[in-house]
Order: sequence, then structure tokens, then C-alpha cells
Amino acid sequence: MHLKVDVPVSVIFVYDPKGAKVSPLKVRWDGRVYPITKIGLHHHFRMGRTLHHIFSVVSDETFFRLNLNTDNLSWRLEEVSDGLPD
Amino acid sequence: MDYLTNLPFNVKPPTLMHIDLNSCFATIEQQANPLLRNRPIAVAAYNSPRGCILAPSIEAKKMGVKTGMQVKEGKLLCPSLQILEPDPWKYRNIHVQLRDLISQYTTDFSPKSIDEFILNFEGFPSFKLGMTQIGQEIKAKIKKEIGEWLTVSIGIGPNRFLAKLAAGLKKPDGLEEINSQNFKEIYSKLSLVDLNGIKSASAIRLNNVGIYNLDDFYNAPVPKLQSAFQSIIGYYWYLRLRGWEIDDVDFGRKSFGNMYSLPITASEPEQLSPLLHKLVEKSSFRMRRAGYSARGVHVAFLYRDHSFWHHGSVGHQQMFASNDIYKHAYKIMVASPYRKTVANISVSLFDLKKSDFSQLDLFNEITKKVNLSNAIDKIKEKWGDFIITPAMMLGTEDKVPDRVAFGNIKELEQFICTE
Repeated sequence: MHLKVDVPVSVIFVYDPKGAKVSPLKVRWDGRVYPITKIGLHHHFRMGRTLHHIFSVVSDETFFRLNLNTDNLSWRLEEVSDGLPD
Repeated sequence: MDYLTNLPFNVKPPTLMHIDLNSCFATIEQQANPLLRNRPIAVAAYNSPRGCILAPSIEAKKMGVKTGMQVKEGKLLCPSLQILEPDPWKYRNIHVQLRDLISQYTTDFSPKSIDEFILNFEGFPSFKLGMTQIGQEIKAKIKKEIGEWLTVSIGIGPNRFLAKLAAGLKKPDGLEEINSQNFKEIYSKLSLVDLNGIKSASAIRLNNVGIYNLDDFYNAPVPKLQSAFQSIIGYYWYLRLRGWEIDDVDFGRKSFGNMYSLPITASEPEQLSPLLHKLVEKSSFRMRRAGYSARGVHVAFLYRDHSFWHHGSVGHQQMFASNDIYKHAYKIMVASPYRKTVANISVSLFDLKKSDFSQLDLFNEITKKVNLSNAIDKIKEKWGDFIITPAMMLGTEDKVPDRVAFGNIKELEQFICTE
């Protein structure tokens, strides 16, 4: 099932200066902590002048789309999915 | 023009490479969400029964799902088909990463669409590695540096046409070459309509002069090909099939357009005008950002009964401001004699000129309009599209979403430049 949401979430992430890469490690959503087991894709876009970084990640059997707004450094959860058809 | 009518197949070592990202949008979605891998999915213009499938995944293709089908048709063939709506920024980001990777090997390359590149290695040091070796390296680097789920089909040939043909010989994940040694064998396995640019109508034209397969096509003399196509196109085919270059042409920007498929029932001008206004806003914003103005506006309707009406007209002077363009488009729309339910509405701006308002009018009206449009566009660039809109567009917030056009990479060039 694919769920579109738009809620603020807490994210623990790490910056690796070697490859200049940021990787989310854990996301806390709805009172539960999900360890990130895989980063599928990282991409970015601008909405107006604000640069958004999108991390498409998986925690075991749950997919999350996380949006980092670089203007106010806030994280929002935009999509949740279990990969199965609706 | 004098034609060279006794040309052999081009014997120069192939230096052209065509790279095609397999099932582009669907594969990128599977890259982003690993839970979708090995599952039949499709990216469709809209997730509704009549939505058009833009890209089925490799798994969905195996179940018979094809590009251009409606979602309901795809689900009939494959009930577990999962539909996703396009996420253009994902695809643009991957395109830019592919472009960066390719530029490590040659600077003589051009994107043919969001998922296709043509590379020329002639005169580049990397050519010494060997074309097949370069192809294998590019495939490996794509998996390592961009995404492990992404696969490309690579074709190598002595001209652009044969490189593309070679890329289509094995999908997905192919690496094929057409050269002076193997072209006859490859041609013998293909039919006329396997060639990019030959559809059934052209095949019938060829059949009419006694050309039924690729061997006939290759061996046909120039006058026979000219009589089949009734134009110089016959000679172009003579060159293409022999590996000589004829397609190294860069077509400039001719128009800016946007299209919208209506999920609601609408037939009256008052229902359609807010959508028309939004389409005009989108097209004219893109046009101004690229530094053009337009003299012509074209409006087209595809009706639910599959009939079609369109009309274009040219104004007295170049148009720059969205409002002027909208007035012109509105006049065209109300001139339509039909009041049928519209399935699809499209607007395009043509007769483009690079904007130059140095010859201003007597009362400075044009200056005021240009300044106003520029000010509105600056607000949009800072705060996002449609942050400031005409009242006419109220209620269209979720209509005409961002989309990637097939085959059109002109705006991608602008995106890359502004990054």
C-alpha cells in the first residue's frame, strides 16, 4: 500500500566528508523508531529558491520518502509504502 | 544536388555509441524504492483507469503491458500491476548524473531525450580503450555510482542511426555493435518496421516498389528509393543503411507547449478557460525564462468521442506577457464550433524570436508589460511556480502538474545551466 503523507519527523543522519554524502540512519515516525537499512535514491530540486533534498529509503519492509528543506533544516515524511499494490 | 549512388558500407571503425536507459521512469522508481524491484509496476500520466502508461517496468513488459496503453488495459493484462505517477525531478537528477558520467569519456555527446544519449568518440583518447570496453565500463559505473538497479542498452555503430538500431537489438542491458563485418547478418534478422523511422505507412510505400525486407532495402538503388518516398528522404535512407552520417542535425527550439488531460467533464468555455489560462501561464513562463517571445498561438482539443479540433493563429506583434497570450488563446478557443466533452487540451506558442525589446513603442506600453512579466517571473523563481496567479486560475491548483516530455530535452539543458 502506498500512502501519501506530509508530517514532520525526527531524523538522525550522518555526514561523510569523504564522498561529501549525507545518509539518514534512523527516522522516528508515529512514536516508533525505524532504522534505515537501505538508501534507494537521493535527489534534489528547487521549489522557488529553496533547495530540497529527497531521500528514498527503506527500513526492512517499509519505504519512506524523506524531504530535507535546506531553508529551515526541517525533515518531513512525504510517502510511506510497503511496496505492495493498493 | 549530386548523389553518390555507388557507395559501399562505411568501413571506418565505429565511433558512435547510443545509450538508452531501459524502462527509464519505471526503473528509476524501482531504484528509489527497492521494495518495488522484481514487481510489475508502471509509471502513468495519471493513476486513473484512463491514465496513459508512460513506462512499464521490465517485469510488467513481460506480462504484455506496453507504453501508450491505458491503466485499465494494463491491469487487465496484469492484475498486480502497481501504478505510480511521474516524479520528474527524480528522472532529471538521474539524467544529469548520467551526463556527468558520460562526460568523463567524451565531451562530444548530446542527449536525445531524458533517457537517451548519443556519444562520439572520434579523436578522443578514450577511443583507444575500444568501444566495447568503454561500453562495459560505462555500464559498470552506472551501477556503482548512480544506482545498482539501473541498466542501459548500448549500441555501437558507424553512424547515429545504426548505433541506435544496435542499442535496440538487445533489451534490457544489451551491448551490441553494427559494423561493416556483421551488418548483413543483422539486417537479415530484422523487418522494415524494426527501423526507427519506418512505420507501417512507409513500409507500404517500400512494398509498392518491391522492397519487402531489409536486404531489399539495402540493395535498392537510389532512384528506386526516391520513387518510394517521392523525396530526398529516399537518398537519406540509402546513406543511413550504409553507415554514412546524415542525422547529425540539431533542431533548434520551435515552440513551447503544455498539455493537460482532463479527469473531469468539461465542454463549455467558462469551464475550460481556467485550465487554458494555467496552460498559457506554464508555457509562457518557460518561454520567457528561455528568453523568447512568440507571435503565434495554437490551441488543440481532443474530445472524449476521439474527434479532434485545433486552430493556430499569428498575432500582429511578438507576445511576451501571459495575459496577452491568454487573450489570443481564448479567442481561438471560443472560435471552436464544438461544445463536446474535452478529454485533452493543449496550448503551444510558436513563431518564436529571441526577446529583444530595444525598439520600444511610443507610449512605453511594451516596457511596462515586460517589466511586469519579469517582476512576476522573479517572484515565481523565488517562491515557486503559481505562487502568484490570475484570479481566473482559482481552483486549478492541482491541475496541469509538472511532467517530463518524451524526446524533449531542451528544458533539461536550461535546468543543468541553472544548477
